[in-house]
Amino acid sequence: MEHLGAGLAALGVLGPGIGIGILAGMSSAAIGRNPDAAGQIRGLAIILAAFAEGLGVLAIVVGLLAIFIKA
Amino acid sequence: MSRRNRILLVIGVLIAIDVLAFLAFPPTDPKNTTECVYPVCFINGNLELPAPHAIFPPGHESPPGLIVFDVSISSTLFTMWVVAVLVIVLLWFLSRGKKSIPDGRQNLVEWVYETVESFGMSLGGPKARPYIPLFAAFFLFILFSNWSGLVPGVGKVPWFRAPTSDVNVTIGLALVSFVFFQYQGFKHLGLGYLGKFFPFGEFRNGIGAGIIALFVGLVELLLEFVKPVTLSMRLFGNIYGGEVALGVMTALTIALIPLGLFALEVMLNLVQALIFSTLTLMFTLAAIEHHGDDSDESHEPTATPMDPAEFAGAH
Repeated sequence: MEHLGAGLAALGVLGPGIGIGILAGMSSAAIGRNPDAAGQIRGLAIILAAFAEGLGVLAIVVGLLAIFIKA
Repeated sequence: MSRRNRILLVIGVLIAIDVLAFLAFPPTDPKNTTECVYPVCFINGNLELPAPHAIFPPGHESPPGLIVFDVSISSTLFTMWVVAVLVIVLLWFLSRGKKSIPDGRQNLVEWVYETVESFGMSLGGPKARPYIPLFAAFFLFILFSNWSGLVPGVGKVPWFRAPTSDVNVTIGLALVSFVFFQYQGFKHLGLGYLGKFFPFGEFRNGIGAGIIALFVGLVELLLEFVKPVTLSMRLFGNIYGGEVALGVMTALTIALIPLGLFALEVMLNLVQALIFSTLTLMFTLAAIEHHGDDSDESHEPTATPMDPAEFAGAH
């Protein structure tokens, strides 16, 4: 039963995937519109992607808890 | 030797090293020692259970359970000491003999500190200057702890394990950060800091506005306690999940493809160290600013716009 729960918890990585995809599309459009600001946009995009990634990691941690905590 | 032949030679040497290492140290499944079937046995041999594992006193087993109190030295604690001593000794050695015209080693230390400082100042403006030392300390310590997990051998040998892959260490760091910015909030605003969460002054504008403001204050109070939880879990999940992913990928594809994941892990560890320290700085700056309704002060626009390009590299 724990493995089922862990598998369901891993579905939570869907959210940040969509979020980072939207971020990638909008930052690419912004660079295309204004190529002089490419450096600033690149730096900002990396940091914002790490924020979104952190939430996906929370879902994975729940899955790990479901498997490894036996009580 | 032409360039193409040189590249092929390097790839051949890497594959030869991987295959020889695989033959010399074959993965053994701790659960099923009789036979070794391809996917399951390799993955079980390469997987590491979540830390901590007690190593001193030797032979000591931690009592089972989710939250236990166990006095022993674990592998992550020992590695944390080693990393801290290493960072302190390295920085002390690099900054010996200060000259007014820096050269060589002193130049390196000054470059590191100035990069970190300019990044912090570009985020917060001149108000952030008192908090830059803590920002730099968090960043350097977490960076070297994360990268120590990628050194070959760390994680497989009983005495060494990446410190931040242990949920106790990351919870400790997040608690230090939490106590720090709460203390800064109380020091700068006095008891008016609690006025952010329980805005009883809004009842002056009418009962409806007062109730809405109370609700908003309650949500902000809840978010205040979520901050250390997300800080610790984000760092733990990234580092421990990276270890697990690297182990499984090496178990399934022995050579060459794990190198790509290894490079990704190097970049992700750097970004996670940056995120932890940046969020601490941001929370501190948010805690010391006055409540947004005091609108008789005129705000000038901040001097420099957010310019992470200087750090992330606009080459």
